[in-house]
Amino acid sequence: MGWQVIWIVLKKELLDLFRDRKAWLGTFLVPLVIIPFVFFLLGNSYSNVEKEAREYVPLAVHGSSRLIALLQENPGVKLLQPADPEQALQAGQLRAIITIPESFDEQIQAGKTAKLHVAFDSTNSKSVYARDLIEQTIERYSKEIVAKRLKQAGLSEQAIQPITPDFQNVASEERQSGGMLAGFIPLMLVVSLASGGIASANDLVAGEKERGTLESLLTAPIAANHILTAKLLAVMVMSIMSAGASLISVSLVMSVGPFGGAGDHFSLAFFSPVTLLVLIVVILLMAATFAGLELMLSTIAKTFKEGQTYMSGVIFLAMVPSYMLMPQSPVDIAEHYYALPVFNGVALCKEVFYGKVDPVHALVGIGSSLVYVAITIFFASRLFRREGAGLKN
Amino acid sequence: MIEVKEVSKQFGTITAVRDLTFRVEEGEVYGLLGENGAGKTTTMRMMATILTPTSGDIEISGFSVRHEPLEVRRRIGILFGGEVGLYSRLTARENIAYFGSLYGLTSSRVQQRIDSLSRILEMESFIDRRVGAFSRGMKQKVAIARTLVHDPDVILLDEPTTGLDVTAATIFRRMVARLQEEGKTILFSSHNMGEINKLCKRVALIHKGKLRFSGGLDALRKQFGTDDLDDIFMAVVEGGKL
Repeated sequence: MGWQVIWIVLKKELLDLFRDRKAWLGTFLVPLVIIPFVFFLLGNSYSNVEKEAREYVPLAVHGSSRLIALLQENPGVKLLQPADPEQALQAGQLRAIITIPESFDEQIQAGKTAKLHVAFDSTNSKSVYARDLIEQTIERYSKEIVAKRLKQAGLSEQAIQPITPDFQNVASEERQSGGMLAGFIPLMLVVSLASGGIASANDLVAGEKERGTLESLLTAPIAANHILTAKLLAVMVMSIMSAGASLISVSLVMSVGPFGGAGDHFSLAFFSPVTLLVLIVVILLMAATFAGLELMLSTIAKTFKEGQTYMSGVIFLAMVPSYMLMPQSPVDIAEHYYALPVFNGVALCKEVFYGKVDPVHALVGIGSSLVYVAITIFFASRLFRREGAGLKN
Repeated sequence: MIEVKEVSKQFGTITAVRDLTFRVEEGEVYGLLGENGAGKTTTMRMMATILTPTSGDIEISGFSVRHEPLEVRRRIGILFGGEVGLYSRLTARENIAYFGSLYGLTSSRVQQRIDSLSRILEMESFIDRRVGAFSRGMKQKVAIARTLVHDPDVILLDEPTTGLDVTAATIFRRMVARLQEEGKTILFSSHNMGEINKLCKRVALIHKGKLRFSGGLDALRKQFGTDDLDDIFMAVVEGGKL
């Protein structure tokens, strides 16, 4: 009878939530609208800046040298002579100012080191691009001069290049792709799991309390724990749907979005049956932890609005571990993080996306998560069964 | 049958109900009278097992609210006034069916009960519409149907006509009379003396959580020496003869 009651309540809760615009917005707005929007906006803005930086490179040159001709060979380079070059650089009308001393070419011909002054603006990314372009051109010119000097001295180029290193990247393409995703997917996954259930959890207890429906429900001949279990499962369903939508959204952005280079390497081949299973278990446990916590806060709150205030802390709880571990590779993550709530889920997610899950880490992470789930559900249940918990006043 | 035995309820330092004792016989419509804040809703909530008495006990159909809450809940139907507690995104039918299935009714029995109740309460035209846009009277009809879907022996009505217009209140009173004919035990709480006069023969009058009178309306009138129930009510509230 217990499971039958849970199923009846769960079916009704899901029907009710699926008809609730607030719950839909809370579950899908962030993953399906905001994430792609931010990615596209960022991607487009970066590619536009890069395009503009390449297409038009206005420079001012004081002095003369063969280097100027080499610079002009680069597409987009235009030499300008503004009245006040320093001010033009500050205003972004110039990307860099090159000052060549009078004896520049003579010093080079004499086999000496000639000095060159380049002024640029590090806060302007287009100016930084111009600086890189000038540096590459100088390097090209320097190689030309070195080759000429070596020839005059009767030496080959190998004389100044005794070692040629051959660097080999041992990370497979799958791992490189996973490594790229491991940086931000755990963050998105954890935040979606936390945020996806907030509106539902708040509606299912604080909202019901406010509308008086919980009081009626508590007069039915069913155990309060069965009601809570059904509500917990309903919140978990919404959280997992939100997390699933986040993953789909990121996959689409990575494969068809403006990050062309990232899309070329994008692959889900780092998933093996084992890593996929670990990811599913981690998602379920984190969803249960957040759902338990959110229902606990929703039970404490007397009104929907009060519940919303309490829930903002849950997002904070999800973001701190995700941001802290975001730049770290799994090999750098300290062992104790696998036993800390939320941190354990983020750390295991990273291992999954790197394609290699340490069995001890998985055991500690999943085991400790089970304990945290039990603790949150225990307290949520105690609060929910407390006398008068379902009453508004 | 409802038997309230020396029941008290305390919230911190506030005593909401003090040593309340009265008995509602099987098949009787009994009035629970008192002004707002007198302790009527607290008493009803204890009967519905939402609150536990601090001392004393209540028996409903022989089951203790303190020791056998699930058995009590199986036998009662409770209707709250004011906020009727319906799911606004569900249709009237879905609201009633949900509670029917929670009381263990089969789906065919639930549909049978919904058809019968929607006919009696004249809800056929809106039974498949979502409750959110309903008027106060329509919502109250759905709430009554939800209360009665499992055909309970004991019906608790807590200020059920609050906010209803004259027509809706009249339909409601007819429904109560019909339930009485079916032999249901009904506890009707109200602060409206006229309504109590129309429906009940016996009442319990409470003020500031204490029982001031229990017995027949005729005995109440005789004790006060007046037929005007409103005057009697005011005398109790203002600490008169009683």
